[in-house]
Amino acid sequence: MKEKSVKFKEVKNASESRRLFYCIVPFIVLCFMFSYFPLHGWIYSFYDYKPPLRLSQCEFVGGKWFKTLFSNKTQVAQMIQVMKNTFAMSLLGIATSFLPVLFAVFLNEVKCKWFKNLVQTLTTLPNFISWVLVYSVAFSLFSNSGMVNTFLQNIGLIQEPVKFLDSDSHTYLWMTLWGQWKGLGWGAIMYLAAIAGIDAELYEAARVDGANRFQMMKGITIPALMPTYFVLLMMSVSNFLNNGMDQYFVFQNSFNKEHIQVLDLYVYNIGMTGGSLSLATALSMLKSLVSVGLLVVVNMISKKTRGESII
Amino acid sequence: MKKRFLSIALCAAVLISGCFTGCGNQGSSSNQGQTAGQVQNQGNTENNSKYAEFITVDVFDSLANYQGIQSGWFGKIVKEKFNMELNIIAPNVAGGGDTLFQTRSAAGNLGDLIIVGTENGRMANMVTAGLLMDMSSLLSEKDVLKNYKIAIDKANQLAGKEGIYGIPSEISVRSPQEPAGGLEPMVSPYVRWDAYKLAGYPQMNTLEDFLTVMKTMQENTPASDSEKQTYAISLFKDWDGNMMVGAKNIASLYGYNELGFVLIKADGSDIQDITSSDGQYVRALRFLFEANQAGLVDPESTTQNYDILSNKYRDGQVLTSLWSFQGPSVYNTAEHKAEGKGYMSVFIEDSAPYCDGCYSEGKAQTIIAIGSKAKDPQRLADFIDWLYSPEGMEISGQANGAGGPEGLTWEMSEGRAVLTDFGKQALPNNDVTVPEEWGGGSWKDGVSALNLKTLCLGDFDPNNNEPYLETMWASVLEENNTEFDLDWQNYFGGARSTVEMLTKKNALSVAAGTSYTQPEETSDITTLRNQCKVVIVDDSWRMVFAADQTEFDSILLHMQETVKGLGYEEVLAVDMQNARDMTASQVQAVQDYNNR
Repeated sequence: MKEKSVKFKEVKNASESRRLFYCIVPFIVLCFMFSYFPLHGWIYSFYDYKPPLRLSQCEFVGGKWFKTLFSNKTQVAQMIQVMKNTFAMSLLGIATSFLPVLFAVFLNEVKCKWFKNLVQTLTTLPNFISWVLVYSVAFSLFSNSGMVNTFLQNIGLIQEPVKFLDSDSHTYLWMTLWGQWKGLGWGAIMYLAAIAGIDAELYEAARVDGANRFQMMKGITIPALMPTYFVLLMMSVSNFLNNGMDQYFVFQNSFNKEHIQVLDLYVYNIGMTGGSLSLATALSMLKSLVSVGLLVVVNMISKKTRGESII
Repeated sequence: MKKRFLSIALCAAVLISGCFTGCGNQGSSSNQGQTAGQVQNQGNTENNSKYAEFITVDVFDSLANYQGIQSGWFGKIVKEKFNMELNIIAPNVAGGGDTLFQTRSAAGNLGDLIIVGTENGRMANMVTAGLLMDMSSLLSEKDVLKNYKIAIDKANQLAGKEGIYGIPSEISVRSPQEPAGGLEPMVSPYVRWDAYKLAGYPQMNTLEDFLTVMKTMQENTPASDSEKQTYAISLFKDWDGNMMVGAKNIASLYGYNELGFVLIKADGSDIQDITSSDGQYVRALRFLFEANQAGLVDPESTTQNYDILSNKYRDGQVLTSLWSFQGPSVYNTAEHKAEGKGYMSVFIEDSAPYCDGCYSEGKAQTIIAIGSKAKDPQRLADFIDWLYSPEGMEISGQANGAGGPEGLTWEMSEGRAVLTDFGKQALPNNDVTVPEEWGGGSWKDGVSALNLKTLCLGDFDPNNNEPYLETMWASVLEENNTEFDLDWQNYFGGARSTVEMLTKKNALSVAAGTSYTQPEETSDITTLRNQCKVVIVDDSWRMVFAADQTEFDSILLHMQETVKGLGYEEVLAVDMQNARDMTASQVQAVQDYNNR
C-alpha cells in the first residue's frame, strides 16, 4: 500500500514537472533563437567573406583576422584608444549610477502629488525618444546656426558660433550628460518601486523616535535601496563593454571621432561602413569573451564581499 | 481597488492597440490586394499582345536616388510598351552604404534588373555567386548587341566566364579624346557672375588669386536672396570616399582625378600619392584652410548634407561652385538671369579642369544586367534593348538631360529639333503638370528614376541629328541670349559653353575614356584601405578647420604617420599599379578607336 502511494506520488511528480517543463519550453526556444542561434555567425570570422559570394565559395583563413587586430603598432594604438573610450564612458555611466537613486529618494519626498507625477512623467519621457531624434534636437539647438548659437550671437555675447557638436572638447562629459538627460527618469522607476515596497512602520517608528527627513532617508530609504542598486550595478558592470552604439553613432563626426568611438561603434564602422565583415565579426567575438570574463570576475567579488551572486 | 482599475485599464489598452494594429495590417493588405487587382485589370484592358501578363520588375539600382514604384509619365511609357512597372530598390536611398547590396546578394537575389558597379572584381563575384543571368540568347537578335558589340564584349571580359552578363553604360561612338560631358567639364570654378562683375572681372593667374577674388565677392555680395549671410565656399561630407571630395575637386581643377589613394593627371603624365605634403591634394587642403582662416568657408560645412547645401545654392547663398550641377543648374533660372544673377564659370590662368572623355568602349564600371531569378527575362532584354535605342535614350536619358518624349517636350520644326512650350517649362527638372494623355502628375516626379546613362549624352541622335543632350541643341543654344548670357559670352570671346571656352583656351584636360575597372584586391588591402580612408577623410576635415598653421601641420603629420603605421604603403602600391594600368588602357583605347 505504502509502496503504491509512493509510486503514485512519483508518477504525479513526474507529470507535474513535465507540465512545468512544457510551460518554460517557449522561453527556452526564444532564448535559444535570439541568444544562441546567432552565435553561428561567428564562423564568418574564420573566412575571407566577400558578400556577393556565398560562404562556401570564400576562402577559409583561420585566425588571420584575429592576428590582423594586433598586426601593427598603429592598429594596436587605435584599439587602445577605442578601449579607453569604452572604459571611460562605462565608468562615467557607473559613476553616475547613484544619480537615479538620489533622484528617486528626493522625488519620493515631494508631497505635492500632481507635481511629483508631472516630474516623473517628464523625466521618463526622454527614454522613449530614439537617439536619432535626440540628435536632431541637439542639432537644432547646438549646431553652428542652431538656436543657442543664434541667440548668443543676437545678444552679442559671441561673434563666431561656438562649435558644440563638431569639436572634440569634453566629448565624454557631453555624452554622459546626454545619456543622463535621456536615462535619469527611467532609471529611477525601479527605485521608486522599491521605495513603495519599504515597510511604512519603519518610518513611523523613526518618526516616533524623532528622526527628521534626512535622517529617515539616510537610515531607512537608502539602505533599503542598496540591494536593488547592487544588482543593477553588477549588471551594468557585465555590460561594461556594451555601452551601445546608437548614441555615439549619431553624435560622431570627423572632429570628435577620436574620443567618441566606443567598441560597438568601432565594430560597426569596420563592418558596416568599412565593409570588412569578417574582421568586425572577429572583433565582436573578442568583445563577447571579455564580457563573459568581466561578469565572472564581478560575480566572484560580489560573492566574496556581499555573499550574493547573480550566476 | 485602484490597482485593479489600473490593471484593467492597461489590459484594455493592450487589447485595443492589438486590435488596431491588426486592423491596420489587414486594411493595408486588402488595399494592396485591391490596387494590385486594379493594376492587373488595367493591364488586361490595355493589353499589349506581346506581353499578356502584367508584371512588377524589381530593379536593384545603385545609381537611383528614388526608391519605390516608378510613377508618372515615364512609368506610363514603360507600362504601355512593356506592360510592366518598375519597382526601384535604391541603396542610395536606403543608406548604409553597401549593406543593401550585401544582404540582398547573400539572399541570392539582387533583383530582376540590376544596375550596379563592377569595381574590385564585383562583376566576376556576382557571376560566380549566380546572381546574374547570361543574356547571350536573349540579346542575339537585338540592336543593342549589333550596334555595341565591341563595348559589350569588352565589359564581359570582367565576368570571368563565357557569356553576356552585363551591358556597360555611357557607350559612345565618338573618340575617347572628346569630352563626354557636353557643355560642362567635371569641375570648373563657377562663381556668382554678378558678384564677379561687381568686383570688376579680376584676372586670376593662380589658385591663390582665387582666394582674393572670393574675398572681394563675399564683401560686395554679403547677403543672399533671402538676406542670409553669403559664404564663398560651402562644403558637405556625404560623398567623401577615399578622400574629402571638396578638396579633390580643387585638384581636379588642375586636371587630376582620383583612383584609390592616388591622383592621376588626365593625360597620365603624373601620378601622385594624396598624402604627400607637396601634392595637389594637400595643396587643396591648404587652400581650403586658408579660405577658412579668411572667413570664406561656411561654418555649417561640417554638419550639413547635400540637400541642405543645394537649398543654399537655390538661394544664392554660396558664391562659388565647382560642379555645374550644384550652383548653375539650380540657380540659373530665367528669372534670376533676367535680374542679372547666376553662376558662370571663370577661368584661372594656370588651371586645366578635368573632363571625362567619351567611352568608346562603354563604361564598364557601371553595368545593367538581368537577375538570375528574373520573372520574364525576354521582356527585360527587350526593355534593355529599348533603353539603348535612340528613343529610349531620349526618354529615359531625360533624367540626365536628354530631350524627353518627342511630341511632348520637343518636336521637329523646319528640320531642327526645338523644344515645345511645355518642354521649355518642364525641362530640365521642373514641377509642371503633365497632360493627362501622357500620364498626368508632375513632370519632375515622372522622370526616369533609373538614372542610368545608357549612351553618351553628347553623341548624335539619328532621329533629329542633334546631340542627345538638349542643352546642346542649336535651337536651345540660340536662346541663351539674355544680357546676362551675352555678358559672359562677350567676356570669353563668344564661347557659348564652359567646355567651348576651355577648349578655346586650350585648357581642358580630357582623360581618354576607357573601359578600365579596378581589378579585385585582396581583403587585406580592402581592410587597410577602409581604415586608412577614415583617417584621411577625418584628418582632412580637421585640417581645413584647424585653428592655425601649426595645428594644420600637426594634423597633416598625424594623418601621414597614422596611415603609414596602418600599412598605407601596401595599398598605395596597389593603387599606383592600377593607375599605371589605367593609363595604359587609355592609350590602348585611343589606338583601338583610331584603328576602327
